[in-house]
Amino acid sequence: MLRTTIAPGPAPTVFLAGEMDLDCADTLREAVAEAARGAQTVVLDFADVKFIDSSGTGIFVRLSLDMRSQGTPLAARNLSPAVKGVFDMLRVRELVGDEVFPD
Amino acid sequence: MADPAADSPASLQVFRYTAGDDTVRAVIGEVEAGLPIEELVAHAKEALKSERFMCYAVSQDDDFVADELCFVPQGDRCEILSIRTNGWQRHHGDHRRSLVEILNNLAAAVACGKLRIFDETELLQEARAGTELLHFAIDDSASLTTAREAVDAILQESVIDDLTRQRTILCISEAVTNMLLHGGGQGSMTLRRLHDRLRVVVADEGPGMNFLNWIEPPTKKGQASMGYGFKIILDYLDAVGLRTGQTGTTLLLDRKTD
Repeated sequence: MLRTTIAPGPAPTVFLAGEMDLDCADTLREAVAEAARGAQTVVLDFADVKFIDSSGTGIFVRLSLDMRSQGTPLAARNLSPAVKGVFDMLRVRELVGDEVFPD
Repeated sequence: MADPAADSPASLQVFRYTAGDDTVRAVIGEVEAGLPIEELVAHAKEALKSERFMCYAVSQDDDFVADELCFVPQGDRCEILSIRTNGWQRHHGDHRRSLVEILNNLAAAVACGKLRIFDETELLQEARAGTELLHFAIDDSASLTTAREAVDAILQESVIDDLTRQRTILCISEAVTNMLLHGGGQGSMTLRRLHDRLRVVVADEGPGMNFLNWIEPPTKKGQASMGYGFKIILDYLDAVGLRTGQTGTTLLLDRKTD
């Protein structure tokens, strides 16, 4: 299960914790939508994501592309080892662009 | 007017040629009328002689009934993998994987012995090997967590390192996800202990592998295969067994534990 906590601000951050799989789409989209109200960008913090698979990755990629087209791009930071390993394997940086990973 | 073939499944068929024979038999799918047996046998012999796997892209207008064919030598037999695309475009032209790439990955995995394609008899034998540790139904996305935790608990007792354990759990998640999304949405998972490995059997009674599911764009919610799940499985596990057809798909996922 994915849990989210939002830290508001000019660049609001959505802290992600738990597991990102087939089930995380609604939770992630709702949290990002709430954080994005009035914001120019939304930061996703992956430090506490213990597990992610290709479905969770696909959901992030889709959301990232959608948010960019809506004018509120996502930025990803603090990738946990589990997330980094899967993102590297699936070449996520190529799919969403380097700008999503400012670190 | 929409092309009716556009919605047809891109399905996997596997034929097997054994050295000395003049024919091929179906392992997955059927040997249908019109299949150019002589040509398949000739290519299979060539692959066996050269000891290299060979892939061909064949147009729909040709005599072949498949668009993509790979001949994979394995000792005294040659596996012939065919992805029938029914004229569906072979390349998306974007980041998603093409059917050619998918088929080449499958063929390479068969060639190196990591992926074994089973007929019904082989599947029954392999799926019952060893001792059953756990068996449970998979019927919703909550089952994903159950499946991962079950495998994690058993692997925690083995001597494999953390990274290998995590990658194994990832593979199980991919297999169960594919079942939920594309295998009819339900099935079962069985954990078996063999003398040197843990075997996870993931079985469904869905419509069989449709390769369009591997390359189709994600839904609006993002819930779709990016086409990489099976690649992850093949890359990270020690051995994979596969049987797929109109009555379902079974995957045997092996992790060596000593």
